Amino acid sequence: MIRTALLCACLLAAGPALAQSCPVKIGGVLPLTGSMAPITKKIAQAAELAIEHINQGGGIKGCPVQFILRDDQGQPTVGVDAAKYLVEVERVPAFTGTISSGITGPIIASVTAPSKVVQITCCSTASTFTLDGRSGGYFFRTIPTSKTQAYATASETVRRGFKKTVVIYVNTDFGTDMVRFYKAAATKLGGEVIAEVPYNDNQPSYRAEVSRALAAKPESMLLVGFPKDAVTIVREWLSLGGTRNVALNNSMRTMDFVNGVGAKFVEDFFGMDNAQVAGPHVDAFNKAFEEKFKTDSKGPGVHTQYDALMVMALAMNIGKDLSGPSIKDSVRLVHVANGSPVGTGPAEFKKAGELIKAGKPIKYFGATGPIEFDANGDVTGPALVWKIKDGQIVTDRVISIEEMQALFKRVGN
Amino acid sequence: MFTGIASYLVFFACVVLILGIITLGLNLQWGFTGLFNAGIVGFYAIGAYTHAILTAAPQPQYLGNFGLPWGVGVLAAMAVTALAAWLIGLVTIRLRGDYLAIATFGIAVSIQLVTLNWEPLTGGSQGLSRIPKPLAGVFDSPLAFNLWFLCLLGALTAVIYAALERILRSPWGRVLRAIREDETAAVALGKSARRFRLEAFVLGSTLMGLAGALYVSFIGFVSPFDFLPIVTFQVWAMLIVGGSGNNRGALLGALVVWAIWAASGVVVSKLVPPSHAAQGAAIQVILIGLVLVLVLLYRPRGLIGEKAVVSRHAGD
Repeated sequence: MIRTALLCACLLAAGPALAQSCPVKIGGVLPLTGSMAPITKKIAQAAELAIEHINQGGGIKGCPVQFILRDDQGQPTVGVDAAKYLVEVERVPAFTGTISSGITGPIIASVTAPSKVVQITCCSTASTFTLDGRSGGYFFRTIPTSKTQAYATASETVRRGFKKTVVIYVNTDFGTDMVRFYKAAATKLGGEVIAEVPYNDNQPSYRAEVSRALAAKPESMLLVGFPKDAVTIVREWLSLGGTRNVALNNSMRTMDFVNGVGAKFVEDFFGMDNAQVAGPHVDAFNKAFEEKFKTDSKGPGVHTQYDALMVMALAMNIGKDLSGPSIKDSVRLVHVANGSPVGTGPAEFKKAGELIKAGKPIKYFGATGPIEFDANGDVTGPALVWKIKDGQIVTDRVISIEEMQALFKRVGN
Repeated sequence: MFTGIASYLVFFACVVLILGIITLGLNLQWGFTGLFNAGIVGFYAIGAYTHAILTAAPQPQYLGNFGLPWGVGVLAAMAVTALAAWLIGLVTIRLRGDYLAIATFGIAVSIQLVTLNWEPLTGGSQGLSRIPKPLAGVFDSPLAFNLWFLCLLGALTAVIYAALERILRSPWGRVLRAIREDETAAVALGKSARRFRLEAFVLGSTLMGLAGALYVSFIGFVSPFDFLPIVTFQVWAMLIVGGSGNNRGALLGALVVWAIWAASGVVVSKLVPPSHAAQGAAIQVILIGLVLVLVLLYRPRGLIGEKAVVSRHAGD
């Protein structure tokens, strides 16, 4: 009896390691419906492209990859249920998702971390997730946290001589983080924040918030939010006589925003995003995306979602088996200082696979540039300044990783 | 494979029982007393946040996070929700039908906005993490913990069900139904409709607060995104589908509606290739609506509606 029990226990413990069955499953949860759906479409396409590249490049451990994508409907209980199903019933050893931090949080706390499943998100930036130690090291994100973007924004607004800045921000974890870090950095660098005005999303009008911001007599504005509401806010801001010294965050880097307000009104507005550093690995991704989906790859989360899955697949190939702990320990091995550089696309993934098989270290340069995780599972990255010129979104300049590191030193962590 | 399915089903059952407890609370208010509470999620949030603030591990940036034991959190969640419901009830309970619905809906939205904005206490949109799960140290694998929590929830639900059945058969319960059917007649018989309505409102809301506390200690995380108005709608759907005025119907409704929600996602992910996941997700939402409509068309009183009893002695 005892022996049978022990045998069962052994089999159960060895289960994930033994099962090297094809196909290898990867789970994902994204808000395919609900208020985030317009942003999610391209993110889901980036995920699809990554899986296609992984499969064309030899798959994971010689097996094709099956991607199972579920919808969280923008609702935590739905997202958690879908994640639990993927982890328990589909037995996915690794998981990507989701966008809203209010859903990513409970998934970490109740599904992935307790079950030791690696979770890599493209888009959730709440600073608590990687700092409070609850994830047990199983949570990573390929999007630089709000801090990178906030510091870069502060350095750019100061460089452009913004004085008496008012910040209007969406009242989410993302918005509050951005304001906190922006204010800290701007103050240090010689700027000045004279008022902070939060807004709640999906309102028909933001006249009250805009009036409150204008009451402080600002000479410039930083707007942190999402395109749909931002259109309303900018229109009201301009019609009530607000200045045209306006800085924006990454979400507004979409033609929906530019056309929503009217291109001529937002001329010379600028914003920040995670840099899609120039280079063959970035071009390869952009080209592949445009060819497959007949649309450009601009948009929040598109590049980071691709990298989330590529990093995951590389780590799964590096790890000795497909157990959670093994994948987790391999995630940081996708970008080793003395490794051979590998980029995006199926051929590069294949090359990486051969290097890994030969026991050689690799150095992954993804769609968002070099992917290097810090001790918390966060990436640091270069930032990019974009602006609206003749009704088009164009890149103004890139703030390199080295400049970012110097900036972090000046502001202090 | 089978342990996986079992593990998922245990998790699923826990969520169903938590939703079931809320539905029992709503059944007491709507099914038996006729109170149109459209602010369910508000009371659920008060219980959840009370528990989280009292039990979460201390962190310097928050006012709360007292690290108190689980039991204290649960009892306090019920007490605070009861107090809040009593205060809200004092001003709103005289409102009839849809007027009460609008008032409670507004209050629930306000409560959610407070949780979003009172950052030092609630963590704002970052949410509160590090909420301890009861006896998580003893039951250290996810399946073991979920099994233990399921037993706990099962026992609690059984106690609540038995207690509700008992008090609803008592003279107190008969007055509630009398008020629901004809308030003027009940008042004419010397009953204080206002007092009974308030009592039912507070008791039902307390159950919602309890469910909130159970939910956060089961998940270990709470944020304002957990308390969007959609939750209120889901609980109403559960009660209507299961059978308003019947406690077993309330529990069955929680099971059926949540199963539709979860299963439709599985079905869609099996049938629709990932390249069309966005369209599939839209179909899932349509499916949920369709099934709810079908249930209501074919079972307008719910799956198991209220038993129409004139008198227990009428058939003799």
